[in-house]
Amino acid sequence: MLSIPIEYYLILSAFMFIVGVTGVLIRRNAIVVFMCIELMLNAANLSLVAFSSYHGNPVGQIFVFFVMTVAAAEATVGLAIIIAIFRNKLTVNVDEINIFKW
Amino acid sequence: MVMLTEFGKILIFIILAIVFVVITLFLNKLIRPNRPTYEKKKVYECGENPEGSPWVKFNIRFYVVALIFLIFDVEVVLLFPWALTYKEFGVYGFVVGIIFLLILALGMAYEWRKGDLEWARPEPKPPILDDLLNSNKSEERKK
Amino acid sequence: MELANLYQSINLIIPEIVLSIALIVLVIADLIFHTNKKIIPFIAGTGILVTAIFVINQFNYIGFAFSTATHTARSFGMLAVDSFGVFFKLIVIVSSFIIVLLSLASDEIQKTTDRIGEYYALIYGMILGMFFMITATDLILIYLSLELLSLSSYVLAGFTKLRDRNSEASLKYLLYGAVSSGLMLFGISLVYGLTGSTNLYIINTLIQNPHINLFTLSFATILIFAGIGYKISSAPFHFWTPDVYEGAPITITAFLSVASKAAGFALLIRFVKTVFVSYETNEGFWSLIEVFDWQSILVVISILTMTLGNFSALWQNNLKRMLAYSSIAHAGYMLLGLVVLSNQGLIAILIYFMIYLLMNLGAFLVVMLIANKINSEEIDDYNGLGFTSPLLSVSLAIFLISLTGLPPTAGFIGKLYLFIALVDAKMIAVAIIALLNSVVSLYYYVRVLKHMYLVKATASTPSIIPSTSNAILLLVLVVPVLIFGVYFQPLVEFAKDCIVILGI
Repeated sequence: MLSIPIEYYLILSAFMFIVGVTGVLIRRNAIVVFMCIELMLNAANLSLVAFSSYHGNPVGQIFVFFVMTVAAAEATVGLAIIIAIFRNKLTVNVDEINIFKW
Repeated sequence: MVMLTEFGKILIFIILAIVFVVITLFLNKLIRPNRPTYEKKKVYECGENPEGSPWVKFNIRFYVVALIFLIFDVEVVLLFPWALTYKEFGVYGFVVGIIFLLILALGMAYEWRKGDLEWARPEPKPPILDDLLNSNKSEERKK
Repeated sequence: MELANLYQSINLIIPEIVLSIALIVLVIADLIFHTNKKIIPFIAGTGILVTAIFVINQFNYIGFAFSTATHTARSFGMLAVDSFGVFFKLIVIVSSFIIVLLSLASDEIQKTTDRIGEYYALIYGMILGMFFMITATDLILIYLSLELLSLSSYVLAGFTKLRDRNSEASLKYLLYGAVSSGLMLFGISLVYGLTGSTNLYIINTLIQNPHINLFTLSFATILIFAGIGYKISSAPFHFWTPDVYEGAPITITAFLSVASKAAGFALLIRFVKTVFVSYETNEGFWSLIEVFDWQSILVVISILTMTLGNFSALWQNNLKRMLAYSSIAHAGYMLLGLVVLSNQGLIAILIYFMIYLLMNLGAFLVVMLIANKINSEEIDDYNGLGFTSPLLSVSLAIFLISLTGLPPTAGFIGKLYLFIALVDAKMIAVAIIALLNSVVSLYYYVRVLKHMYLVKATASTPSIIPSTSNAILLLVLVVPVLIFGVYFQPLVEFAKDCIVILGI
């Protein structure tokens, strides 16, 4: 069976990363912004795993384990903060969370 | 003749599935009669009249439980490699794993003690027949 | 892993182990003493002091911990213990001890009695993250420690939950932080792809290979810089700083502005030095590998950082926000010490950090004591305070003059050494720009003094007399700022002892 060349993984990973960055920049709902950040992390995970199999050493896969746990912790803290801000302001729209001015 | 790789076969399956679904939907659209009425366009809710918006906000306590679950769920990922190489490391590996689990358990105990696992719901008020009758009567009087 | 190696490694990370144990003790104490929280700050302070003893003890050690990666018959560890790291650990430890004292004096924090255990536990999380960040020489550990630091500080930034601006600060910090750590992670994955290793020393040897893909490497390096630059709040990644500094509880603001920045700088310096420097010349200049021009990029970033920070600070009416912009500007000055890529520049950064610790924490302490009383940080509310509360106003004046960098305060010495390093590296133009920036900063620092001393006190001007313990803490910060302004030799000697970065 033929294996998929590494470029394919990298293109997919780059695509996911760009979608994530674009989402962060243009979406206004804090939860959606958060999902886009998760997408960025997963893009990095994908390329780490791909490189790991390309180089034939397990470091990349170990890294992915840690990134997954960190991402979960980050999501937890993030959602908790979003809940806190929702209780205060009854909105999760990033544009309306604007006490501070430049 | 071009040789198909395994992935090529999967691609053909995907294309076939999409084409099939699109064609059947399109044929349906051509054949079916289109006579919408008010009743038909309403949201189906077990035959009852729908009440309120379908976009319900979940109780915020669900989120707290979900957050706690999320952390403990994902930490398990770190236990898989440990379990796989458990025998090679012997006592040393065992001690390290136990320390990790103890710290996790400490987090669990912390949440328990702080009352984040309590499902503090409002005291349920059993309906009393007289109240129901009274409220019915008052509504009738209004009419 | 061989057991001997393990025991030796554990010996090298004793301070971190002590910190973790103290953290666990804190959590358990929080659970046991459910009603009486008086003991928690004591545990926190004691833990920090014990850690400090072990950190000082580490001056004797040098070496790698957890050596796993081997390359061309040499083995490199995940952690490097050296005097440079010990110096920054001391900065972190001293500032966290002062922060614990500050928290005891802060009304804002004391109001949250039932969650005070959480507060100190999270501060411990931050310290632990910073410790690993300072010593990490492996990209995995760098990422993990950065996230440990960030996650704890996200929560702390919104800790009091009393006001809207608290949770807003927290959310902004989180969003910017998560994005920049995502960028950094992608950069790390590219570096791993290019070299097949996550160890900084191995990456260093591998990128000297002429066949390396320069474009990808530069791109990945810039992405990694996004993560570090966010921590030190340098120019393109500084947007969160004013909002978070203004919204967070003031103790946390002070902590972020000193300790978190110190850890970020330690990471940046170690990263540049171990990955991109091939050798050190006899005069102490670092020779960059010809793959990525750190020098010109850092020049641009540091000039941009200090200019943006100083000019934005001119318009601020909130003192906390003004100090936030001033801390951005100071990050710019300190980057100049890295720009020259020499041991002399490194010494200048270390001296600057010791002084910055004193003056910045001192300024925040005064702002906090005043805010405890008048519940405001607006500069207009400081009108006439110079006449009614002399001790606080004089100390604030000294701290602000020191932040400007005027003699006879210690701030002058810090700037002086930076400029000398710049001139020695023949970067006169950069030095002049930095000097002009200092002149600009004079305007907004002096403006506070104008409000305090040139506006007459009215009947409503409060008279603020700090409690004895707070006054002592204030004097502990003020007196060194004055003494080091004239007698700075010990600082220089100490800094010269601390420039050993474990190299190849």
